[in-house]
Amino acid sequence: MTGKENPSPMTVPAAAPPVHSDTAAKWFILSSIAYFFIVGIIAVTIAAKFVWPELLGTIPAFSYGRLRPLHVNGMLFGWLLAADMGLVYYIVPRLCGVRLWSEKLGVATAVLWNVIILGAVVSLLAGWNQGWEYAELPMPLDVLVVVAWIMFGANIFATIASRKYAQMYVTLWYIMGTILWTAFVYLTGNFAVLFTTGVNQANLNWMYVHNAVGLIFTPVGLALAYYFIPKAGEVPLHSHKLSMIGFWSLAFVYVWTGAHHMIHGPISQWLQTIAIVFSVMLLIPVWTVVYNFIATMKGQWPQMRDNVPLKFLMSGVVFYLLTCFQGPMHSLRSVNAIVSKTDWIPGHAHMAVLGAFSFFAIAGVYYVIPRMFRRGLSSEPMATWSYWLMMVGGLGFFVTLWLGGFWQGWQWNNPSIPFIDTVVALKPVWTVRFFSGVLIFLGIVLFAYNIMATAVGASEKRTGAAAAV
Amino acid sequence: MSDYTYPSIFFAYFLFFLLVAGALFFFLRTIKQGYWGCHSEDPKYHMLHDEEVKHDDK
Repeated sequence: MTGKENPSPMTVPAAAPPVHSDTAAKWFILSSIAYFFIVGIIAVTIAAKFVWPELLGTIPAFSYGRLRPLHVNGMLFGWLLAADMGLVYYIVPRLCGVRLWSEKLGVATAVLWNVIILGAVVSLLAGWNQGWEYAELPMPLDVLVVVAWIMFGANIFATIASRKYAQMYVTLWYIMGTILWTAFVYLTGNFAVLFTTGVNQANLNWMYVHNAVGLIFTPVGLALAYYFIPKAGEVPLHSHKLSMIGFWSLAFVYVWTGAHHMIHGPISQWLQTIAIVFSVMLLIPVWTVVYNFIATMKGQWPQMRDNVPLKFLMSGVVFYLLTCFQGPMHSLRSVNAIVSKTDWIPGHAHMAVLGAFSFFAIAGVYYVIPRMFRRGLSSEPMATWSYWLMMVGGLGFFVTLWLGGFWQGWQWNNPSIPFIDTVVALKPVWTVRFFSGVLIFLGIVLFAYNIMATAVGASEKRTGAAAAV
Repeated sequence: MSDYTYPSIFFAYFLFFLLVAGALFFFLRTIKQGYWGCHSEDPKYHMLHDEEVKHDDK
């Protein structure tokens, strides 16, 4: 069976009445892409510092210790979460069959979010840092994040409350889960952690770090994938019931896995074992999701030739499967003894955040921008190039760090090898990582340029029907 | 300096409890609302046509 002869999902459909203004979605998405580009420069810079440690001298603001938190927070909250929020503002009114409850509140949320990100840039470069992984932002910015999240959540829940259809599509379930779980995870990781000491403090911090990925970026990323795979492929989801099984198993399993970051550490053995057991149980929600997406694509694979959003989406699904297989496996005590704290971990984290969830968000942006601005994408070949650059760069990055991480772990397990020798030995790995990072960054540049050019109308490619609207 | 370790851990447990209780409550409601019955596949067809819907709500 061949794929359907659909028009590109990045052209405007023939009949697209301007029902939604999408102002909040545009604000969030365009600003997130600007941060993707800016923080991409920081990412390449710190990758270069691994190879050339003298780069940028001894200027404190440009030291690794200040740039690295900026890279992490910038990518997580400036790019990915902001892009996800923008896409949620686009998706929810459509799935509910109503307009967004308040576009003004959405725009105010976007303005506040930009204030937070710009504040983060200034404070982290100045060294004002709480010193906690993923929770580096200073307290005033943490409070603003909570305020912005309440504004976002109120707007989305009020929209869902006024929906036309009683039964909600699975994307809405994941979005509501994200809003509630983020509130819980963020409060624990940024506020409760400050009142603890010692091992308990570390344990709470790692629960936050793991759940930042597992209960914030995973559910919202899957919400996007469940929406955009059927939309971009113009094919119904394989099974809605199976998607609900995946959602509820994730809801009951994910929260208990954080302590697997402290295996072989000074926490109780029973707590480590619980984290390992629940980590392995994650294979259940993961496989329900991946099977559903692959079954949805049955007979539709030829669409992958020309459909850029589907290229990103299905590659993201494969990376999601790989990263979620890695996670449970390296939570096992024997594997953890080798890979823990090595370069394997950033390889794993980048495959989750970039390879899976950023790919889902990029696909969503390529899908919604032509529809929101009511003009065809500025350049479809450029979109294809952005995919291949990020794909090849990403693969080089992930695979190099996994192999390098194993190598590093084996060396660390040999007490006869001095630590500094293990650092020197990894230089070839970090060189490949740098050049892979350059490829990823070039992909980001093409993506950002293409979207911005479309937004400002650099290449007017309206279809006849759309132009007549 | 006061040690707030136990209150903060109880706070975290309280949040865990809220999440589990909320998840259980809403999971049981999905059974009542037909997500597991013969109409469980309806939403996946609605969503394919959501952009063409002409709204009359506001």
